[in-house]
Amino acid sequence: MTSIYDGPYQWIMFGRDENKPENIIDTNQYMVRTSNRCLLIDPGGVELFAPMLAAALHYAPVEQITDLFASHQDPDIISSLGLWDQALPDAKLHASALWEGFLRHFGCETIEYVPISDNGGTINLGEVELQVIPAHYMHSSANFNIYDPQAKILMSGDIGAALEPAGTPMFVDNFDIHVENMRFFHQRWMPSNQAKRVWIDRVRELDVDILAPQHGRMFKGDDVKRFLDWFEALQVGIAV
Amino acid sequence: MNVDQTKSQFVAVASIAAELSAVMDVAKEISLAAANAKAIAFRAGEKAKGFQPITDFINELAKETIDLVETINEHALSLYQLTVDEHRMTEAYKRFEEVSVLAVGSAYEDSLQAPMANSHQKMLECKRDFKLNVTLLLDQLAEVMHPARAARVIAANSRIEASQAGEYLQSLQAVAESVDNAAQVIHDNVQRCRSALSIVDLIE
Repeated sequence: MTSIYDGPYQWIMFGRDENKPENIIDTNQYMVRTSNRCLLIDPGGVELFAPMLAAALHYAPVEQITDLFASHQDPDIISSLGLWDQALPDAKLHASALWEGFLRHFGCETIEYVPISDNGGTINLGEVELQVIPAHYMHSSANFNIYDPQAKILMSGDIGAALEPAGTPMFVDNFDIHVENMRFFHQRWMPSNQAKRVWIDRVRELDVDILAPQHGRMFKGDDVKRFLDWFEALQVGIAV
Repeated sequence: MNVDQTKSQFVAVASIAAELSAVMDVAKEISLAAANAKAIAFRAGEKAKGFQPITDFINELAKETIDLVETINEHALSLYQLTVDEHRMTEAYKRFEEVSVLAVGSAYEDSLQAPMANSHQKMLECKRDFKLNVTLLLDQLAEVMHPARAARVIAANSRIEASQAGEYLQSLQAVAESVDNAAQVIHDNVQRCRSALSIVDLIE
């Protein structure tokens, strides 16, 4: 658990779970904690539910975990939905309208599904209004990032992700070395150079201090710009 | 309930749907055989006079079986949904137990108690509903056995009546034979459903 923003509300990053089974991918989860509400961003797969909720209880009581966000439909993002559905009957799930019929397969009977249109939208948590930024085809066909203009954090889902061994530091410390941890992942998982360019243009308009992906290390300060420049030059969609 | 028991439960409930589908097909075959027998008996006239009311009775038994199986199918579908619900509730409660161990010492560990108690209650309700529905389904399956048994008796009577039908003897005997076989198939399939359900019924 690492605090990445501590202002009138907090951003907390969860990851590097030591008890995670070896054969499942390591993921980063994020929490935005305001005075009486709590948003979990990409809360994770079924295997992660128990450690994730236990970790969240250090910061908020169950009844104040009011919102979940799924950047896209992958199992490591949100296959725990059926369990959150039992734990948080009054919560809302913010996810793409396109994925609704699919995500409900994980079990979503009591949680309210708040569909996000392709243009994105906002999530208002009282002290902060988060922006839901479209990132379609990056990698999922209906895909969103979360941007917090006050904390200057962009939760970028699989963009900026790297698959690294357990115990990896929280932030990129040497960008040039880190590039090799990201290259294949981005070339293989990101299908469209056009979608990539649109996303980069959109993100360059934002004031981002921390770029926080769902796997691997976060980028801070100048490394955010370095990442955008590197990604812009990278050819993706290499498997065809 | 352990993983193997859960699997057995899913497989048992799914296999019931398959067996019932076969019963439905056979009941429809009986209905067709009854129509066929009626036509033959009509052509045979006086020689098959005793056979004619039997054909109506065979048809009624087939219809009764079809109606019963349709109702049972609906219950089998509900039972499948209950199996899914029970599995989800049991799994959720198991995960909550893990959370309660991992969350010891956290600032808000007490807040887990209410959802955990709620989950436990729902799990017990699901188990209870499942048991009730299994008992109900077992009773309904026993009911389907009645027309199947009656059909076998009718098949025996049909053979006697067929023996007096002169040149129509072979055709009517074939009808009696097909009703008898169909009744036996229904009996066996329903018996398999009951055995599968009885195993599930014993799972705690």
